[in-house]
Parts: sequence; structure tokens; C-alpha cells
Amino acid sequence: MNENRRQILEMLAAGKITADEAERLIAALDPSPTATVGEFTGSVAGNGATVKTRAKYLRVLVEADESMTGMKGPTTVNVRVPMQLLRAGVRLASLIPAQAHEHLDEALNRHGVPLTLSQIKPENLEELIDHLEDLTVDVDGKDGNATKVRVFCE
Amino acid sequence: MTPTIAIVRIETPHRRWPRLWIPLFLLWIPALLLSPLILLVLFGLCMAGRVSPWRAIAAFWSILCSLPGTNVRVSADGNKIQVRIL
Repeated sequence: MNENRRQILEMLAAGKITADEAERLIAALDPSPTATVGEFTGSVAGNGATVKTRAKYLRVLVEADESMTGMKGPTTVNVRVPMQLLRAGVRLASLIPAQAHEHLDEALNRHGVPLTLSQIKPENLEELIDHLEDLTVDVDGKDGNATKVRVFCE
Repeated sequence: MTPTIAIVRIETPHRRWPRLWIPLFLLWIPALLLSPLILLVLFGLCMAGRVSPWRAIAAFWSILCSLPGTNVRVSADGNKIQVRIL
């Protein structure tokens, strides 16, 4: 057991941190074992540990009530896809032939989407997916409609 | 890691079907047997579309290896279906 873990466990035993916070601190120590507990003390003393782990899945939750679907009972869709699948999927964009880019740009512009596909680079898409981890979309139905849509990363 | 097993669970209002464990790894056998034909078709399509076939293979392979962990659950009209890919 290394010194950092011992300190975390001592803080837990002394009641300075909760079990959840201790677990997050220990998990955060794994990728960078040279980190000291002192680096985490500030975040723990605040509103709990703020160590952020990389999101692994994209989750889409849809709940639609009977008035929306016309079916008996609520309809729910719960999809969880690995983030790695999204990253692999954007590589499909590189398979679009260059001559098709012009047609696609034209079609997108006609529909009010001013995108130039040829200027989008794989690293841009990677950055987009990395920032998806911070994305949370909550859509609630109105006028008594209980439809909900949630998109988030976990 | 390529997907090895797909678990399918179906529930209807009157019956709960047993979980189906589908061994996806067995699909490698027909895939290997048909690989010359598949590669021929793939190379033909890539040449027609002026796309690098190696890039296409790499893209589809990375998608295939990313499938494990996918979980889809749909519930509608009293019926439920769940598909998990491991």
C-alpha cells in the first residue's frame, strides 16, 4: 500500500472525507501514481472530490407517453453506446470520396446548414467527441406531455 | 476486442422469453470462409468510390471492436426487448 493511499484511508478513518470521496481519490491515483494527497485536499475540502474520470458511454434515454406514441402504456428507449464507437464512427467520414464532398456541401447549404465537409479534419471530430463528455441534453414535453429525452455521457 | 456474445431478452405482456445467448464469435467461421469474396467485393467498391480499401477496413474494424458494451433497451406497448453486446 503506497503512502498516498494510506493517507486517504487515514482521512476516511478520521471522518474528514466520505467513503465516496475516498473511492474517487483512490481511483484518481491509479492513472498518476506520483500524485500526492496534497493535490487533492483542496478539491475535497470544497464540495467533494472534483476528480473527473473520462466518460465511457453515451446514453440516450427517451420516455414518451401514450399521447405521443398512440400505444398502450409509456414507451421507453434506453440506449447506451461506448464512446469508442462514436470515435470509430467518425472515421467513416474519411471514407466519403472527395468528389462527393461538393454535392454534400451543396445539399447541406440548401437545407440551411453552412458546413464545408472538406474542411472538417479528423482531429476536429475527435475534439468534438471529447467535448461530448460535458454534454447533457434534457428535453421535457410541455402542455401535460410527459415525454422526456435525456442525452448524456457517463 | 471484437464482440463475443450478444444477449437478447424479450418480454411480452403474456410471456417472458428466456435469455438468448448468441455466440457472435462463431460468426468468424463463415466470415473466414467467405473472406475472399468479401474482400473482392470490398476492394471493388472501394476502387469504384476511389476510397482507400485499407482505410475502409480499418474503419469497419474499429467499429466492430467498439461494439462491446452496447446496450439497447426498448419498452413499448407492454413489450420489452433488450440487447446487450459483450
